[in-house]
Amino acid sequence: MDLAVDLSGITKRFGAFTANDSIDLAVRRGEIHAIIGENGAGKTTLMNILFGLLQPDEGTISIGGRTMLVDSPAVAIHEGLGMVHQHFKLVPSLTVADNIFLGMEIRRNGLIDRAAQVERTRVLSEKFGLRVDPQERVAGLSVGIEQRIEILKVLARNARIIILDEPTAVLTPQESRDLFQTLRSFVDDGMTVIFISHHLEEVMAVSDTVTVLRDGRVVATKPKSALNKRELVRLMVGRDVSFDRRPRTPNEGTVALDVTDLWARDDRRLTALKSVGLTVRAGEIVGIAGVAGNGQTELAEVLSGLRPASRGRAQLHGHDILDRTPAEIRNRGLAHVPGDRMVRGVDRNASLSANILMGRQTKRPFSRLGLIDWTTVHDAMRALIQRFDIRARGPKDPARSLSGGNIQKVVLAREFTAGGDVLLIDQPTRGVDIGAQEAIHDEIMRQRADGRAILLISTQLDELKALADRILVMFDGRIMGAVDGAVVDDDAIGLMMAGIDPAEMTEAS
Amino acid sequence: MEILSNLFNVALLVAMIRTTTPILLVALGGSFTTKAGIFNIGLEGQMLIAAFFAVVGSIWTGSSLGGMVIGVAAALLFALIYAILVVSFRANEVVVGLALNILAGGMTVSLLKAIFGTRGSVVGRGIVGLPKIQIPGARDLLGPSTAQLISGYTPLVYVAFFAVPLLILFYNRTRLGLYIRVVGEKPEAAEALGISIVRIRYAASLLCGLFAGLAGAHMSLGYITMFTENMSSGRGFMAVAILIFSGGDPLKVLAGCLLFGFADAFSLRLQTFGFPSYLVLAVPYAVALVALFVLSWRARPKRIRETVDTIRRALSVHPSGEADRNAPLPRS
Repeated sequence: MDLAVDLSGITKRFGAFTANDSIDLAVRRGEIHAIIGENGAGKTTLMNILFGLLQPDEGTISIGGRTMLVDSPAVAIHEGLGMVHQHFKLVPSLTVADNIFLGMEIRRNGLIDRAAQVERTRVLSEKFGLRVDPQERVAGLSVGIEQRIEILKVLARNARIIILDEPTAVLTPQESRDLFQTLRSFVDDGMTVIFISHHLEEVMAVSDTVTVLRDGRVVATKPKSALNKRELVRLMVGRDVSFDRRPRTPNEGTVALDVTDLWARDDRRLTALKSVGLTVRAGEIVGIAGVAGNGQTELAEVLSGLRPASRGRAQLHGHDILDRTPAEIRNRGLAHVPGDRMVRGVDRNASLSANILMGRQTKRPFSRLGLIDWTTVHDAMRALIQRFDIRARGPKDPARSLSGGNIQKVVLAREFTAGGDVLLIDQPTRGVDIGAQEAIHDEIMRQRADGRAILLISTQLDELKALADRILVMFDGRIMGAVDGAVVDDDAIGLMMAGIDPAEMTEAS
Repeated sequence: MEILSNLFNVALLVAMIRTTTPILLVALGGSFTTKAGIFNIGLEGQMLIAAFFAVVGSIWTGSSLGGMVIGVAAALLFALIYAILVVSFRANEVVVGLALNILAGGMTVSLLKAIFGTRGSVVGRGIVGLPKIQIPGARDLLGPSTAQLISGYTPLVYVAFFAVPLLILFYNRTRLGLYIRVVGEKPEAAEALGISIVRIRYAASLLCGLFAGLAGAHMSLGYITMFTENMSSGRGFMAVAILIFSGGDPLKVLAGCLLFGFADAFSLRLQTFGFPSYLVLAVPYAVALVALFVLSWRARPKRIRETVDTIRRALSVHPSGEADRNAPLPRS
């Protein structure tokens, strides 16, 4: 077998923690090999070892059939490896060509030869079908193009084995499809692609072989044809995880949130919400589906008082909430789980206790005579940490020391216990491990059973299908239509997400 | 009108070029550190220590070149100490810069006493000033009054102004210049490509020391050959202000320095017309303050803009109707 990369018995320990435990990985030349696992499974550590950024404690590395010591990225690059990092490392004020040749400038008479760099970039760009304008500045380019530049950077260094770390995390679905096509053309040219991901769909879509890591060990290496999504999840998480629709009993009460003809603008002063109308009843989960950037964020911000509405009406239990401050709206009973937890969800540097306390710091029993009673606060937080299964050493840990999933649980713990009976939940499981996703879904269903009215915004259709009683689809600031969560027609939702009214389709046909 | 024409003439321009030179040199030095991502507040001290040692050196060696070299060496030593503390030991750049400024101020005063046995200033005593360069043929070609615009300056004046295009070339076309920009703008990109951030920042700090040293030497050996206590008189800080607003961009640095140089020269002229000197001496600083205010008004923070927006919106009357549907209403 012609192996591009052969790792055997790789072990890497960080103190008492074993990140990689005698891992064997054989990547054949000319294949797309996906490495999948949850956060902390050891994927990135393994790739950093292969690329010479970390040294293994045990084990050997062979590249192209030769066993060697890869003790720096320079060695890896020399052997034809190239790494596209998850976080791009481009210089905004430089041009595309300057960025590609940074560190290996083409020089003439001691000065950088811009014309030659631009020309070489053009040649590379055409050869690999990655369209870029070599003379454009990187500042202001979309992330999709930035990624193209990162890939060109690697190709300009003559890489034949390309490692991509979570390449689609920042891409739109369209950009992801383009990327997959590019990767496919690479392997058709005889190159090898190693692809790190925790995203099931894309692994199933693009890879030839899949290696699953769990807790620093290889649990399986199989051709993709021998796998399905359910089995991949079982391998990744170590148990069966259900994405089926959650069982439920009808539980609907009175209208809690009532929005009519709501208009608003986004940060660029463009109209982001166009006559949005919806109602949410107590004991009901209403889902908002749509491709990110179609007004969902603005809707959540307007309802929580963070963004002014241009026009319209929104009522919480019959009280107008437009033009009220976030604090007033919260006091009326709205809890808000923001879409970007690191920006609006938590203060990274504050302790877990402080983060959960926020918003009720003046209320009894946490505050007495205007002073915060930290003993009471910590005790209460310890109880919440247990109830929401937050993996932390204690209530005094800073929020930044937690993983994304656990930070999300901190936000949920605060919002679900704030006493609000209307929950506005934006992207509850974005960037969260599958195991933790299930726990978060459980908690949302528990809130429904308790009779809370829930507006659930998500770009993950699977999540809405599992949880929502009704699904509204947003496109370009409008509600395109509604479907019953129990009998979801994927095609109808897909059309609405693309801005096509299904009613018109049936009329036309 | 007579006063105005006496005030604004070729002599004022010549004076402006001369007063611009030291601040331009030191600001161009600071451009290296600014671009490399170091907020270097120690320019003042580097300049002052260079001015002192340029005087000492010119006496020792009996030559102005020797004085200049020793002055620059002193500034480089300060720059090196700064780099060791800030780059290698990651000390706070403002604290280290201020400490070195205070050290330079105190050190020059005590050395003045120790070496020359005086307080305040040292004049004469065999200090050799920098020669003036007459450009051959300039007088014949341009006539005496225009010729003095380009001819008859000390060498560092030419160095300062020629350094501007050279620096533009340096940042755009040389590898070191490019790396300095990258290290300042996106250190993680430099790191990923194997560019040593530490080495580049040392290089930038030392280049800065070189230019600050030249600025100091120009001050004490250029037009007046003397050293007085605290003779840099805030030019290093003015340079820092210019650097903040220019981002270290050579052309913008030049523009800022010319403005300051003009104000400086203008205040000197006003003095000769009998204006009270304590008012006149404040002119350059007042000009700098106004300039900073005007520049920062454009970059005024979002909150001020929003407040102004809100007030404007509240004052304007909205026509009602369909056309207004998309207009944001003021929040009550």
